[in-house]
Amino acid sequence: MAAVTLSKTAIASVIDLEDVSIGYGKDAPPVLVDVNLSIERGSFVAIVGPSGVGKSTLLRVVAGLHTARSGGVTIHQDQRPGHRPVGLVFQDARLLPWRRVIRNVEFGLEGLPVSRDERRRRAEAALKLVRLDGYARRWPYELSGGQRQRIGIARAMAVDPDILLMDEPFGALDAITRHNLQDELRRIHQETGKTVLFVTHDLEEAVHLADRIIVLGGTPARVVRDVRNSAGRDGAVFRDQVEQLRSEIADNYSI
Amino acid sequence: MKTYNKIALSALGVIVFLLAWEAVARSGVVPARLLPSPSAVPAAFLTEFNSGTWQAMVLASLSHYLVGLSLGTFLGVSFGTAAALWGKWDAFQAWVVRMLRPIPAIAWIPFAIIWFGVSEGAASFLIALTVFWINYYASYAAVRGVDKDLIELGYAFGQGGLIPRLFKIILPGALPGILSGLRAGLGQGWMTVVAAELFGISGLGMRMMEASGLLATHIVVLYMVTIALLYGVSDFLFMQVQSRVLSWQR
Repeated sequence: MAAVTLSKTAIASVIDLEDVSIGYGKDAPPVLVDVNLSIERGSFVAIVGPSGVGKSTLLRVVAGLHTARSGGVTIHQDQRPGHRPVGLVFQDARLLPWRRVIRNVEFGLEGLPVSRDERRRRAEAALKLVRLDGYARRWPYELSGGQRQRIGIARAMAVDPDILLMDEPFGALDAITRHNLQDELRRIHQETGKTVLFVTHDLEEAVHLADRIIVLGGTPARVVRDVRNSAGRDGAVFRDQVEQLRSEIADNYSI
Repeated sequence: MKTYNKIALSALGVIVFLLAWEAVARSGVVPARLLPSPSAVPAAFLTEFNSGTWQAMVLASLSHYLVGLSLGTFLGVSFGTAAALWGKWDAFQAWVVRMLRPIPAIAWIPFAIIWFGVSEGAASFLIALTVFWINYYASYAAVRGVDKDLIELGYAFGQGGLIPRLFKIILPGALPGILSGLRAGLGQGWMTVVAAELFGISGLGMRMMEASGLLATHIVVLYMVTIALLYGVSDFLFMQVQSRVLSWQR
């Protein structure tokens, strides 16, 4: 069993995965094997692959919610005080319905050595980052799906994480809202320089957002492709990149 | 329907009920001893009030009720929550609970008297017992029903330890269910007050027993109405608090 190791040495990579294999249950065959990845600070990495391949599980391992069966997971944490190694954004926004928006954003800051005023200030800054600074006193039920998802992003950003983990964060949104939030996320990534690890099954989304795309496939799944991407949103380059990935996934697809 | 119309209709219902009752009592179909007319109740109230009996009985019952209710609620919520949280503890106590649960509070009266005497403590004990079970089951179900995803959220944001998990996620999440248990206990508590006092502990129930022994049925009705009012007031106050506490709900 391998838990996440937190290292204090600041190097170019934020996360290092070494020979990680992941499974559920003691005797069940592993879901994911031989994962070796090094994620550079400030990069935007998308993990794609067919559903059930273990994308979300991999993210949960990095988040410390699931323990890898073997191998090493190291997060190179920065020295600055009052922050968490990871900030997680779920597919369902997962806000606490009994807390107002601002208190939801403060949630992750509560166990940190941060004063009350500092906590409020950081939560307000995070709300501003997702452009919902007028919504601090609202209840979650008063928000639309897209707004809730933004609050989820603000909550993750408020802890000033070394890495922002996103588990199909826009999967449940309508197309227009999804597009808007993709643009927002791109802007947030550019403004803050945060490292983002983004799980999606939507190839267009991956090509549109990420500067590196990791394809998982096979049974048990492993990394079948790891590509640099700079296709952007439109044009032939974009379509080529998406098509190429689509065929990669099809080649490695088995049920 | 508008709120105003609703209130008017409810009031009309009560008036029609009282008028029908009065009509039956006056018609002489039923002897007055067996069915006192509601119009006899105000006079009975004045007599009881002027002698100070009414106030004394209400205060006595209220004190049994409050002690029993708070004790039963606190213990019921605590034990219910603990059983829902820890599987081992749940298994350990499951059969004890199954054996004790079906015994109604009145069946404990002999023991209440042996342990506490014919005293305030005995009445409070019986009320606490009734209220305990209601809150135990309500809290158990409510805590079990807390969204597992929210608990995972707690772990993801460093709030997975027992104390933050309990106070920031589980209890707030279970609160609506726990409060319904509290409300049910509030009503059942008043019912048990009467039963607990029937065997001679000073209070509304005892006074009803005394009056019925003398066939003073209008006094019995007076105390029935008193209990109904006390229940109505406590339930109303509770609902006010509840709607405030749960204002985050749609």
